[in-house]
Amino acid sequence: MMLIPCPFCGNRSESEFAYGGPVKPDRPDSHVTDDEGWVAFLTTVPNPVGPVHEHWWHVKGCGAWLTIWRDTRTHDIVEGPPDAG
Amino acid sequence: MSYDAAFARLPVNACFDLKGAESALVEWIGAEMLPGFPADANRCRKANGVSLDHVGPRHWLLQADIDREDELNGALRPHEAPAEVSIVRISDTMATFRITGTDAAHMLAIGCPLDLHEAAFPEDAVSFTEFFGQKALVRRCVGGFEVSVEQSFGDMTEDYLTRALR
Repeated sequence: MMLIPCPFCGNRSESEFAYGGPVKPDRPDSHVTDDEGWVAFLTTVPNPVGPVHEHWWHVKGCGAWLTIWRDTRTHDIVEGPPDAG
Repeated sequence: MSYDAAFARLPVNACFDLKGAESALVEWIGAEMLPGFPADANRCRKANGVSLDHVGPRHWLLQADIDREDELNGALRPHEAPAEVSIVRISDTMATFRITGTDAAHMLAIGCPLDLHEAAFPEDAVSFTEFFGQKALVRRCVGGFEVSVEQSFGDMTEDYLTRALR
């Protein structure tokens, strides 16, 4: 079981959360980026071996959205929201 | 294994869902109607038979006996509330169960991942969590806990609790 740090509730079981997808990079400037850059932005999902930046929703708890850095090898949360309790 | 516990389905409470900044809610409702805002997250404050539960960021539940629903509705005026606040009467949306007895915490732990030890979940604690897979509001009461689930899952939760007690 993963304990996810919620900024409102503190550490809670992952079963109270819904995965909200990876944090994507900023939208590129359409006047500057090329086709390859657009395809990468639109279709490439970050899937590193190691820390990945993710959105989670505390859907069965307080309803807050948060982002964490989770290590895909160990499920360790290497960095939580800055104001997590 | 059987548990030294019992449960009862409680009658409906008057319940209002409040959202917005504290200052905006006080300005609209008036401080005299509210028992005061809890200082911490997932805590409640009670006064004059009314409980105010801090259940999320800028999110509270105001609860009282069902006899006081009309009085509270008149004071809160949900349909006239300004854009800065949201007030919704949700009295009939929850089914509440009171679980009491020596093993009440053990019984709750079957379906709830919350740390229910007094150090983590004291007398004034109240929190949304999950119970048998459904979103649920859990609070302490005399001799145990009260669990509220969405009304449509009430019968299912009652069935689960009955089976857990066998």
